[in-house]
Amino acid sequence: MTATTNYYSLVASLPHMPRSFEIERVPISRIQLQQRLKLLGDRDKNIVEQVQSFLLWDRQLPERTDDEVEMEYDRLMKSISNSLVRDIINHRMDIRTITCALRRRRLGLEPPTAVGQHTDHIRKNWQHPDFRLVREHPWIPHVREALDSGEPLQVERQLLSATWNRWVQLADRFYFSFETVLLYLARWEIVDRWTRLDETAGRKKFDELLTQTLNLEENVV
Amino acid sequence: MDSYILLLGWAGVFLPTALGAIGSIIGCGRAGQAASGALLDVDSGYGRLVGVSALPSSQTIYGIVVTMQFNRTVSLDSAPGLFSIGLLVGLALLFSAMVQGSCCASAINTTKSKPEVFGLAIAPAAIVEGFAVFAFIFAMIVGGNIPGSTAG
Repeated sequence: MTATTNYYSLVASLPHMPRSFEIERVPISRIQLQQRLKLLGDRDKNIVEQVQSFLLWDRQLPERTDDEVEMEYDRLMKSISNSLVRDIINHRMDIRTITCALRRRRLGLEPPTAVGQHTDHIRKNWQHPDFRLVREHPWIPHVREALDSGEPLQVERQLLSATWNRWVQLADRFYFSFETVLLYLARWEIVDRWTRLDETAGRKKFDELLTQTLNLEENVV
Repeated sequence: MDSYILLLGWAGVFLPTALGAIGSIIGCGRAGQAASGALLDVDSGYGRLVGVSALPSSQTIYGIVVTMQFNRTVSLDSAPGLFSIGLLVGLALLFSAMVQGSCCASAINTTKSKPEVFGLAIAPAAIVEGFAVFAFIFAMIVGGNIPGSTAG
């Protein structure tokens, strides 16, 4: 570990990130990426760790309640002052909240008690097809249509695409800074997620999560 | 008061070298760090990457030449001119070297994944160099009119 990050070395050591996430493999393997991230300073490494543990799907614990997620969200927002990090967290939470709301409405359930800045707005505009959020989130109609037509891969593509486009636009503004590294990691995660999409593996993971959740409920009962 | 003015005059003689060297240190440092990082991601063309990182060193050379031109016995007549021109040309060299370092770092970052654009990638660094040359030449011309100059 180093006290401060040498952004010039770190950014230049990372391979070029393509303009589209729909590629066959990630530009750099997870192991190599972790090795390069050793160039991060203590403070930066800590922030990256916190953001990753909060956002990465692979690290989400199924037994975590909404209240716990909200507490973690509030704690993160209080401890992190970097505006881009806050933007990344908020954007990801918004996408999760809105997608969750679209799915719940489709199943005839109540509005979600999720975390994020749009929760109350969604509740107020529950009957509106796009919750009156289409100006801020133009991807909502596409995801809604894909959900209605039962195309999960299309839903995933639209969601990843919405996040990807935002990170690409932001990445064009930074060169050799913490923001550059963070946006690289955010895009790498999308490419990694896309390249690992596999129907068989997806079913297996779903079954595992289902079993885990059912076991949890049995224990509670 | 006179000794203070003379002190500024002497500072003006050396400022172009000092500020140019500080700029070169920062510029070459930035570009050199980028080159070192890029070495982890390329399998060939190492020399070219490290070579580009040395571009911001020219500002120190310009600074040395201006200092040699300004080097004379400083008097109350020449001190204000030496300080003003020395400080301004020094600042121009300092900033140009720093920015050139960033340009070189970007060029290195681009070239490692697309070697065919090497020439175009270093063009911004060459343009920045051009402004440093303008500042250097006009410092030499204007410096020639300062009292006590060997040329004046």
